[in-house]
Amino acid sequence: MSSSVEAPDLVCELDCVQGVVDALTSVRWKRLQDAVVEISEHGMVIIVEETACLQAKVYLQREIFLKYDYGARGRPRFGLSLGLFVDCLNTFSVPGRSNTLEIRYPGSDMQLLLRSVDSSNACIYAEMRTRIPETISWDYNFETAGSTPMSFTVKSSALKEAIDDLEWPGSSIQITLQPSPPSVVFRGEGHGDLQIDFNYYAHMDLLIAFSCDRQISHRYKYKFLRATTSNIPSSVIRDNRGSKFTIGRGGMLKVQHLVAVAKPSTSHPHIDSAGYQQPNRIAYIEFFVKPEMEEDNVNDS
Amino acid sequence: MKFKAQLTDNGINLLEKRILAALDKMGKVCHVFLTRDHAFFLHNLLNSDGVQSIAQFKKESLFQDYRISSQNEDKIAFSIDLSLLHRALRSILTIYVESRDSDSSCLQIKLVKKAPPHSNQAVPFLTLEAKGYKSAVVQDVPISKPLSRADVQELQLALENAQEMPLTLVKAPELNLLQSFVDRMKHVGEVLGVSVSKCGDLHLQISTTSITLGAEFRNLTVLGERVEGAAVDVGSNAQTRIERAVQRGDAMSVQVSVKHFYKSLQSSLAKPDCAFYGIAPHGACLIVIFQFLIPGTRQIDKSISLHCRLPVLDPGSN
Repeated sequence: MSSSVEAPDLVCELDCVQGVVDALTSVRWKRLQDAVVEISEHGMVIIVEETACLQAKVYLQREIFLKYDYGARGRPRFGLSLGLFVDCLNTFSVPGRSNTLEIRYPGSDMQLLLRSVDSSNACIYAEMRTRIPETISWDYNFETAGSTPMSFTVKSSALKEAIDDLEWPGSSIQITLQPSPPSVVFRGEGHGDLQIDFNYYAHMDLLIAFSCDRQISHRYKYKFLRATTSNIPSSVIRDNRGSKFTIGRGGMLKVQHLVAVAKPSTSHPHIDSAGYQQPNRIAYIEFFVKPEMEEDNVNDS
Repeated sequence: MKFKAQLTDNGINLLEKRILAALDKMGKVCHVFLTRDHAFFLHNLLNSDGVQSIAQFKKESLFQDYRISSQNEDKIAFSIDLSLLHRALRSILTIYVESRDSDSSCLQIKLVKKAPPHSNQAVPFLTLEAKGYKSAVVQDVPISKPLSRADVQELQLALENAQEMPLTLVKAPELNLLQSFVDRMKHVGEVLGVSVSKCGDLHLQISTTSITLGAEFRNLTVLGERVEGAAVDVGSNAQTRIERAVQRGDAMSVQVSVKHFYKSLQSSLAKPDCAFYGIAPHGACLIVIFQFLIPGTRQIDKSISLHCRLPVLDPGSN
């Protein structure tokens, strides 16, 4: 444990704890989840996954932090309980007050150390035990399926609503992208059939961007699709943001959300999905969902 | 056994807007104990687990025309469902407020025995009665049978024991802040270590195998025994500071249930002006005392007192 004698791998300060809590909450799809935290000179990545079919990553770039002193070589990784980490961070976020949190890793026993630093008369502190991380079972190299990326961007609120509605047929959801007419179809078949169409020309306010040069169709487990939207922070809906879907090689689905972790200091009352906000206060969230295997890539050329 | 009084405007306000809401959070059912001079609302005094809450009012702070008589030195005790009492009071107030201008209006509270519908057996009620110029409303709140002489004795003894004060009290930080903090903290664990030092430190900590989460509040106002010595430990961290203070005998620590701690903080619904934390001698319990000021002054209102006693989880460890 030589690192405890030397300078810590990371000392950083954060003043937007609630935003980070929101971002992390969006990948919290069940109560007990193990997460792997990877720190680098660029920031922090929190990775959670389930049964090698669903993986989520939260990118907290160094620009999110007030201060970010990175002193390690390589990219230290450690494991911890996501739920506990979120609950713990949440304790540091006092509503209606600005507060600064210092995060330090590692402590003398490889703990993650947190403490509030803005008042000399009151101090909140925490020490979280970390684990040796389990190996990430699939560090997936996401590749586009052809020359044109197969992707679309949809209003997060509409997306969440659509996926919530698909709960009724349940089990397995087919997502189809087709170029003419340009549209995205979510179709669920289970206890019953339900189909939700997003037509690019009919709903340009919902389907914000669309890129597809041939028809493509894959099935995904409903519970995994649901995990990608079930805990979207309310700020994402409020800010009227969009979520991006990309279908890659082998039908791998990538879902991306942007979460503003701090209130915009600019005076733009309306922030559109492209994000006129300063990009440096945004946490990036990515989900990767593997397709169901039965009908293997029937339509994938 | 007779009890009859008129609720004063101040008493109505105090009960309806502040006290009943706070006490209701402490537990649905409580004992009401009435003596010649005082009215008490008591939670968990006759059973040892759970937060004990003691709310004491001089009769003048709630009532006028206060008449009580019983064969047990004019003491009466019974248990009552606080949410029912609160509801009855709120409902009767809508009528009472309308008819307030007339001279005859008053809100009377009394003990009665009457047979409920579909029964011949008379049972006791605490009755609220508003007589206005045009209308009159009666709300009967069912209560338990009055406590026996022996039970009243036991209640009084428990009440006397509950008056034991800590040697040192520290003034709690802003209650809303503390409440929101503990509300979040309670997701992390169940047992809360609470330390109170004579230098004016309040230290809260939850420690489990996977996390230690705590808060240290320093330089708080101290009542009772105090030591100056905060300067000694500058530079060390919160945990070592409090451990050293305990070793020096300048601080005491107990463990209580986080849920109990949070519950006691809900007394802030009674809008106290401040709160003090202290640990009873020998670490018998954690005590929180809520203080009320006479409105518009900085003087302590001695006619109202509210305090809670939190059972410690492991008395042997200290």
